[in-house]
Amino acid sequence: MKIMPCPLNGPRNIEEFVCAGEVIPEPDPDATSDDDWSAYLFILENHAGVVREWWYHVPTSFWFIAERDTVTDEIVDTYSPDEIFGREPRPDEPPATTGSGP
Amino acid sequence: MSGGTNRLPEPAGSRIDRGRAIRFGFEGQEYEGFAGDTIASALAANGVWLLSRSFKYHRPRGSMTMAGEDGSALVQVGDEPNVFADTRPIEPGMSVTAQNYFGSLEWDVASLIERFKWLFPVGFYYKAFYRPRGIWNYWEKLIRQTAGLGRVAPATPRRYFDKAYLFCDVAVVGAGPAGMAAALEAAKSGAEVLLVERDPQVGGSMSYVRSAPNGNHDEQALDDFQEQLSTFENLRMMADATCTGLFTDNLLSLVRGNRLYKLRAKSVVVCAGALGQPATFRSNDLPGIVMGTAAQRLINHYGVKPGRRAVMLTSDDDGYGVALDLDDSGVEVAAILDTRRGAATGPMASHAAERGIRVLVGTTVHEATPRPDKLHLSAVLTEQATDAKGMRERIDCDLLCISVGSTPNASLLCQSGAKLQMTDETGSFAVRAIPPGVFAAGSVNGFTEIDAAVADGRRAGGESAQHAGFDVLEIPRAPTPGRVESQYWLGPGHPHGLDFVDFDEDLTVGDIKRGIAEGFEDVELVKRYTAAGMGPSQGRHSALATSRLVAQVTGRRLADVGATTMRPPAYPEKFGHLAGRGFNPVRHTPLQHRHLEAGAQVMVAGLWVRPAFYGPRHRRSESINDEVRAVRQRVGLIDVSTLGGFEIRGPDAGEFLNRIYTLSYDRLRVGRVRYAMMIDDTGVVVDDGVAARLGRNHYYVTASTSGAEQLYPSLLWRQAQWRLDVDISDVTPAYCGLNIAGPASRAVLQTLESDIGFSREDFPYMTVRTGQLVGIHVRILRIGFVGELGYEIHAPSSNAEALWDALSDAGRPFGLRFFGLEAQRVLRLEKGHIIVGQDTDGLTSPLEAGMEWALGRRKRYYVGKRTLDILARKTLTRSLVGYQLSDTEGRIPEEGHLVVRGREIVGRVTSSAWSPTLGRPIGMAYVAPEQAKPGETVQIKVQDGRLLHARVVPLPFYDALNARQEL
Amino acid sequence: MHGLCRFRSTTLSTRARSFSACPTQGPELDRILPTAFTRRGFVCRRLVAAGARFGELAEAAVPLDFGDPASELELARKLGLADLSALPRIGFKGPGTMDWLSGKGVVIDGAKPNWSWRQEGGALAVSRSYSEALILSDLGASGNLCLELDAASEEAQAAKAYSLPRYDGLFWFALSGVESSKCLAKLCGVDLRSRSFSDGAVAQTFVASLSAIVVRADLGSTLSFHLLGDSASAGYFWDCTIDAMDEFGGGPVGLSSLQALGAEVE
Repeated sequence: MKIMPCPLNGPRNIEEFVCAGEVIPEPDPDATSDDDWSAYLFILENHAGVVREWWYHVPTSFWFIAERDTVTDEIVDTYSPDEIFGREPRPDEPPATTGSGP
Repeated sequence: MSGGTNRLPEPAGSRIDRGRAIRFGFEGQEYEGFAGDTIASALAANGVWLLSRSFKYHRPRGSMTMAGEDGSALVQVGDEPNVFADTRPIEPGMSVTAQNYFGSLEWDVASLIERFKWLFPVGFYYKAFYRPRGIWNYWEKLIRQTAGLGRVAPATPRRYFDKAYLFCDVAVVGAGPAGMAAALEAAKSGAEVLLVERDPQVGGSMSYVRSAPNGNHDEQALDDFQEQLSTFENLRMMADATCTGLFTDNLLSLVRGNRLYKLRAKSVVVCAGALGQPATFRSNDLPGIVMGTAAQRLINHYGVKPGRRAVMLTSDDDGYGVALDLDDSGVEVAAILDTRRGAATGPMASHAAERGIRVLVGTTVHEATPRPDKLHLSAVLTEQATDAKGMRERIDCDLLCISVGSTPNASLLCQSGAKLQMTDETGSFAVRAIPPGVFAAGSVNGFTEIDAAVADGRRAGGESAQHAGFDVLEIPRAPTPGRVESQYWLGPGHPHGLDFVDFDEDLTVGDIKRGIAEGFEDVELVKRYTAAGMGPSQGRHSALATSRLVAQVTGRRLADVGATTMRPPAYPEKFGHLAGRGFNPVRHTPLQHRHLEAGAQVMVAGLWVRPAFYGPRHRRSESINDEVRAVRQRVGLIDVSTLGGFEIRGPDAGEFLNRIYTLSYDRLRVGRVRYAMMIDDTGVVVDDGVAARLGRNHYYVTASTSGAEQLYPSLLWRQAQWRLDVDISDVTPAYCGLNIAGPASRAVLQTLESDIGFSREDFPYMTVRTGQLVGIHVRILRIGFVGELGYEIHAPSSNAEALWDALSDAGRPFGLRFFGLEAQRVLRLEKGHIIVGQDTDGLTSPLEAGMEWALGRRKRYYVGKRTLDILARKTLTRSLVGYQLSDTEGRIPEEGHLVVRGREIVGRVTSSAWSPTLGRPIGMAYVAPEQAKPGETVQIKVQDGRLLHARVVPLPFYDALNARQEL
Repeated sequence: MHGLCRFRSTTLSTRARSFSACPTQGPELDRILPTAFTRRGFVCRRLVAAGARFGELAEAAVPLDFGDPASELELARKLGLADLSALPRIGFKGPGTMDWLSGKGVVIDGAKPNWSWRQEGGALAVSRSYSEALILSDLGASGNLCLELDAASEEAQAAKAYSLPRYDGLFWFALSGVESSKCLAKLCGVDLRSRSFSDGAVAQTFVASLSAIVVRADLGSTLSFHLLGDSASAGYFWDCTIDAMDEFGGGPVGLSSLQALGAEVE
């Protein structure tokens, strides 16, 4: 069984985690054509190489991001989502990015 | 002498205790062995070599290795099938039977199959059963009867199997000379070392292989090792444990007794040794033909004389050591057949010559001759190794020992990613490309001499400790590869066959060659076509020969042929090991015992166990109807603790809910409750519940029982990106939920001590109140899922039972009845309320489900809105409606029954029940959008294919003005 | 030393109903049973069936022993499982959690998730992340830390430390004794051996496939773990653990033996 280095809990058996797919920036819903929006929802890149993925540690309900090589299955890096979603938007601002996650 | 007639005098037999005789049964006959004997060694001591019949031709077989490596030694012990007779210790009263025969082991009727073997060409599985059509039905019966090895007894008592984790810095697999040296070297660095050995004792080849021309195996060296091993506190030994797999990031599976261990190590040293290979000649599978090491194990471990007159077939100097061991044990060595061209010059060979043992160089075995009863070897016919037409000689013998080269026992290494490659030097495999963190040492790494293996083990021990993060001052040097003195001797095969390559599957040289000739030129294809290597021994004795034959026939270089992929398990695991002690969490509400005491029949909903209804099973529908009537006419109480509960707190709590749910919550007044529906990015309804505003910055949100578990991660996932000033906490198990509903529910609550006013004015519909009820902190939500005046009381779980008792006592004078999930389903159906996941599916949008009313029209954003905007411009393909049946002819549709229009399927029934309130069957179904108007008739196809006519009616079925819930 | 439990000598409350499984008659009447309280532990029926003797602590019945305190202490040294669910505990979560707790005098390091700190008076502060903490009462429930923090919930919320009802949401068991880490290796994939998981360490992981919090909190010199998880699965978890303990000869113990172990000088 593979080991996932969790940024909060350290190295753990991968059965403690759920992978929720690639981190894909959500386009601005108001400035996106229907076709582009559908592509965002349903077309996945399936890139061969290092991808950024959402991972969830079930016992601590902790979301983080893992960079994983889809060819070798090597986990290159893991970090808290703070590192890419660090900016705190105003409450009245529409969300900048989300993804097609769980 | 007791313990069998073939027992050698002491000191032979390091593993047996001659003071403890053990009697056991084999094939109905009683035998005696000593404590420490295996089944096979004890039987050999009694002159019994025949252990089983082969899989296909039912040929007589015995153990070839005495080490649990070959499938020929599988026997049945009581109700336990497929036990390795050569590793399982005997126990008093043990009842052992042979496997895979019809009639008797000595006279197996099915062995006649061999005469018709032309009927079963290689690949016959793929050729024979197709024509004429239907012929498989005939063959299947026959094959099912003949196939398989041991017997599974359905009445076998349940045994306890379980699993456990183990942890160490360095795991060493195999406690032979290399493994012991590796473990010691790693332990010196301070690393925690686990040394795993399949045998009951450490030592490996050191415990049975002749170490010097004059002496036996080196007991002193082994004792020294054992003493050193015991000096390290950070070194643990685990004998009798078989490593069956090496998985990602150094997780090893170990089987020991009834337990499967999952060992996680920082680095792994594989010292699994090498596997002696058989040679191909006619009748090379007869009992009496064994590996040279098997004879040495019998002599040195068990004190068993392996035969009376022996021939040694060898391609290396090790064979001479075996011959000396035999000679020392009183076995007459008729001849040593050395396949090599020149005379051997090693010390063992010289010593054998000094003893006057006859050596025939450049000679191999042409065929083995069975006894008249065909059950044992009686002679061999020799052949010139390089000239098949040369002189032959018949030598009488009852024992033929083989030492013609070996292959690394590399299954674990290959599982880790290493590759096997054949080399011209050895004619055998060598291990290449071992990944970081995994190390190989000893004969699996090509160092077969004991001294070299020890040196290689020390090297690997140092490297593995260093990899595990320990300081190693100096890594011991690797031994210099010695001169390769021997080549693996495949053998010439035999023009008339019975020259077996795979003993498990009864495949001969000719079979393999035929497979290749039919175009399967890659080893992987040969394996699949011929089944070579697929039996219980997993190619340990056939993979090398198969690859060599492929090279020979296709004319490829050895290095280019490769080996088949090796997968776990390397050694057999039982289903019990895999299935044993699994963990399947269940969730019970704090009222579980009260439900059972009240006669509830429970059902499973997700991980939860919930009451379906109260009353005996045979009164199911009466009970459900009574419960429904109680709620409609008087008062009912249901446990809804399984609903998800979430605290949403912080300045942005309202904004967060606005984005998550389709309605608006930021302007909801404190103390109010609002329906909450969630859709996903693709516009599909995924959950619903209510949101209650408890304070300016505090909402309490409920979720459906089945949705709650997925909801929490998805809320946190959004927040991880939105980063609003809000906290989301799952408090599902902290709160119980009791829903008291029915016209008398207010009156019941008003009899109880509380600081909450329950009057219509104080506590209107769709509001929330917090306070005390019978001294318990509660949050009460006035909502109406079942369509009656009702209060959903949320309280700390530890108080649940006391609260339930108080409510049921107070309700008794009012005719309160407990109701379960089934009654609740009927009640909400009468009200036309959907259940997400039952009346919706993985594609249902709110537009199809008639939930447009729950979409916040003026909202700029909520999850899924963009997709709904697109869907709204498309034509609907189906709509959820309520229907009633005019004439059911006693039939009620079931959930999932189809709604059809002519030959077209337009929808399906999602909810269906007999309504005790209305006195007729009702339901909800998806229909074509143009049928969705009240008054339209749709057709429902029920179980027997009959069509029922249903009329679309407006929802709800009951109390259209919603007067009752707002009483 | 933790305060001794006060034994309650009143008869059963008339309002509280007994469990159908345990008849209350004759001399049994003055025994304290979980049903005497409106707050009841998640596995109290199992404890009653195993012959537990209860005392009153923090307005609930806590199992003190199972009839033979002397041999039970030895059991607790080897391998004992105790239900501490009746003892106070509270959680806080939110960006202000660590600062607010520190301001309240709680010893906790917000920069060190998955660790625990013993408080003066015996309570334990557990950091579950950079912004979530769990406070466990001392084994005698003599301190008032949890109650004080609970009473200040509104103040906490203003400081963005949102309180969490962990008393009801999490069961709390203690697994004590020299065999406890070996026993846990049958249930849990994290290395909890003394050498890798020192006193004070915290692991949030699967135990018997259930999300659980494991806190190493030795009692005196005896190896011991607190185990907390979803209260709805308390019975399941209790049964799994008892089953895993069988091969080591372990069994249920009461609070008294844990208190005695805790009083022993290291």
